[in-house]
Amino acid sequence: MSERRRIRWLVGVAAAASLLAGAVPAWGRVRLVTLPVRERVEIQLDNLNATLVEEERIVTLLKGTNHIDFSWSTVGIDKGMIQFRVVNMPLRRKRGDDPPSAVRPDGKVEQIRIVHVAYPPGENALVWQVWTEKPYAARVRVSYLVANLRPSFHYRALADHDERELVLRKYIRVDNLSGEAFGSSGIWAGFGNYFHREVGLNEAKQMLIWKFTGVPITKTYTFDWYGGQAVSDEPEQRYVAMHYVLTNSAKHHMGLFPLQPGKVRIFQDDGRGGEAFIGEDWGGFTPIDDKMKLYLGLARDVVVRRRVMKTTRHGVKGNLFDQELRIEYTIENFKNRPVLLDIPVNMDNLRNEFATQRGEFDCEWEILDDGTSLTKQQIERKDVTNVVYHVPLPAAPKDPGAKVEPVTVTVHLMLRNVW
Amino acid sequence: MTRRRAAITAVCALCLALALAPEAGARNVDISTLPGRDWAQLTIYNGEDLTLVREMRSLTLKKGLNRIQYAWAGTLIDPTSLDLRATERQEEIEILDTTFLGDKPQHCIWNIDSAFEGQVQFVVTYFTSGIRWSADYVAISDPGETEMSFDGYVQVYNFSGEEYDNAEVRLVVGVVNLVEKIAELARQGLPPRPGTPKYDKLRAQAMHKAITTAERAEADQKRAPEIIKEGLSEYFLYTVKGRQTVPDGWSKRMLSFRARQVPFDILYRMRAHQYGPRPIRFFMMLNDAEHKMGTTPLPNGLVRVFRDNGRDGLSYLCEQSIPYVPIKEDIELRVGTDDEVVYERACMDVMRNNWAFGPHGAVVGYDEWRDMTERIRNYKGKPIRMEIRHILDGDFELDLKGARVHDYHTVEVTLDVKARATLDWQYKQLQHVGANQRQKHWIQLKEKLTVR
Repeated sequence: MSERRRIRWLVGVAAAASLLAGAVPAWGRVRLVTLPVRERVEIQLDNLNATLVEEERIVTLLKGTNHIDFSWSTVGIDKGMIQFRVVNMPLRRKRGDDPPSAVRPDGKVEQIRIVHVAYPPGENALVWQVWTEKPYAARVRVSYLVANLRPSFHYRALADHDERELVLRKYIRVDNLSGEAFGSSGIWAGFGNYFHREVGLNEAKQMLIWKFTGVPITKTYTFDWYGGQAVSDEPEQRYVAMHYVLTNSAKHHMGLFPLQPGKVRIFQDDGRGGEAFIGEDWGGFTPIDDKMKLYLGLARDVVVRRRVMKTTRHGVKGNLFDQELRIEYTIENFKNRPVLLDIPVNMDNLRNEFATQRGEFDCEWEILDDGTSLTKQQIERKDVTNVVYHVPLPAAPKDPGAKVEPVTVTVHLMLRNVW
Repeated sequence: MTRRRAAITAVCALCLALALAPEAGARNVDISTLPGRDWAQLTIYNGEDLTLVREMRSLTLKKGLNRIQYAWAGTLIDPTSLDLRATERQEEIEILDTTFLGDKPQHCIWNIDSAFEGQVQFVVTYFTSGIRWSADYVAISDPGETEMSFDGYVQVYNFSGEEYDNAEVRLVVGVVNLVEKIAELARQGLPPRPGTPKYDKLRAQAMHKAITTAERAEADQKRAPEIIKEGLSEYFLYTVKGRQTVPDGWSKRMLSFRARQVPFDILYRMRAHQYGPRPIRFFMMLNDAEHKMGTTPLPNGLVRVFRDNGRDGLSYLCEQSIPYVPIKEDIELRVGTDDEVVYERACMDVMRNNWAFGPHGAVVGYDEWRDMTERIRNYKGKPIRMEIRHILDGDFELDLKGARVHDYHTVEVTLDVKARATLDWQYKQLQHVGANQRQKHWIQLKEKLTVR
């Protein structure tokens, strides 16, 4: 036992004369104790709100009553949560005078029994009173929740040179600020790889939980009029945002388990045997079959301008009216490859901008075929208020002297029954 | 520990003053014997900071007047509750009066007239605060989450300032009525002022009730080993087998019962208004014989829930407090979200018609039709059941199949989803708004709704 140890076990055997049933041992300053060493430690990280440590030690128990003192200092342990169990409990056949609590459903009787736990005042300690039928060297397991020993998740994505696939590595990082050195410990996050590592005091360990290879990348370009970053001195423009979209499904070579929130650092194969860092983002919790959308930055090679060409009010009855809108998007793709541009539109925002500020009602809207240049397949209704226009853009001409031809998209909208 | 116990014994001793007559008794110079406590019984109530203490002491009386001094310095004893009774030779012993000395706080003197000379056993009864008990439970599910072990514990805390050696401990589940807090009465440290008749009556009733409870339980205490549970009036009494010592400042936790192979069901609940945006998983069981429980009501307490993780270890699931659970009542353990179960709900379209206009042409009412879609994705290797509740405040009609009205503004539907499957369903929801609204709260379930 190291002097640094913050968690201490003492196994003392009270003299027979003092073994009044139920008596709390009066631990004096002079005592003879054994100090069992840790045989096994498991750190269970499958609950992100609380870390469970399980440690096993072999304690030598004499026939009769034994006291096991468990104490800790500078370690955050929930006193009420500590569980004490005997591993490989010695059993025997039932006799007539056995207490019911010691009899298992199969009729066997446990030969080691926990009589009670006593909690001394003002101390981070407890004392188990354990009664045995025979002397045993018993392997016991103590489980407790410990503070400041928490996992976090990190990802490292390496995209290939043409951004079609990537390798996604998921890491777990364990920061041990608990105040205790756990030594050689099993570490389990509830999924992925199981680890066996030294967990020292104030150490941080980062381990690869899983490596997903050949994960298809969907690279998206998004022009969001209401949510995008404004371009100075260009009131008709917003910057186009770039994202990698990964789908956590088996079809996309993932989908083994949900992806926990964490920072994703994205690198790209630079085509010369090295790799370049191209951005990082916080990945949100991503259940199986859901998409993880990672923001990469602003695309300077795709320029979009939005102009509202027509806004007309058509009375219906009383103060009820329909608002007609014709919106034009002029798009230039200066990249040397085709791009699919997404234009999300929140109809409530549109209604608030051009018709009425009565924002508490979901907008009734319709995209009219007449005057809309998009096909029905290019218009994706997400829900009652959100729609996305998918606009394919051709690559810029290869001829250095040729100009980029803008793509013009017109949407003819009717916001119904506004007042 | 030894020094502490000695000090407490000294201050709390029952002193027999050998005075020949009250008039002759010295006020400041006394001689006394210090009879020890033969036996003590603690009846601890968890609903109030209240413990009924009965301690047995042997005194040797002389014929004639005897003065018995009792002191409780440094403790939390309620002086208004002190009572002394002889357990033998009652016809020869009369407690004449109880005197609380004005200049000696936390002291009293009993004047006893005895026709008998010799040793007599007395019971001193009083209320104290600072001793409490609580229940807690440990549930460990099997790896497949079909059965669990469910162990109940009781923990006794002693912060009363007094150490009760070798005491019988009994725990009362239930809430007794008290007109004054025992801790406040103990802090006052004054003799009882002449109170109103109602005050005296209530105090006497409370004392009588507690003592009767204690006496009735005592008769049966040897019937069963370990912790004996029995009903008493509206209360439940646990008697801990054997004698316990809980030193001042310590607490002690003891096994109350063990239930093994307790079957339970898993139910997911989706209640955005109550639990937030994700479904919550519950372990559902009953405190009855079918579920291998039901031998006793469960006092309110914390339940710590683990699962055998199948890797020779435990996984921590949750900690939750449960209220008092009568026999045959449900126990619901809220385990938390499940990353392998996803619920989604969206409104895909809205349409309004049947407009109503006010005298100046302003919209005052309409019907609002919504196309709703909901989906459960179950990635678990076994089927799940989910109960979904939505709050609908207003006048609503909807054709959600299998739904039922839970209350005036809540609709509920329960669905089973196969293992590794997705379940989608759609329905139409009509709300009558403004002048079209017929009732402030009304939910009507229809077979099929079509826009009209």
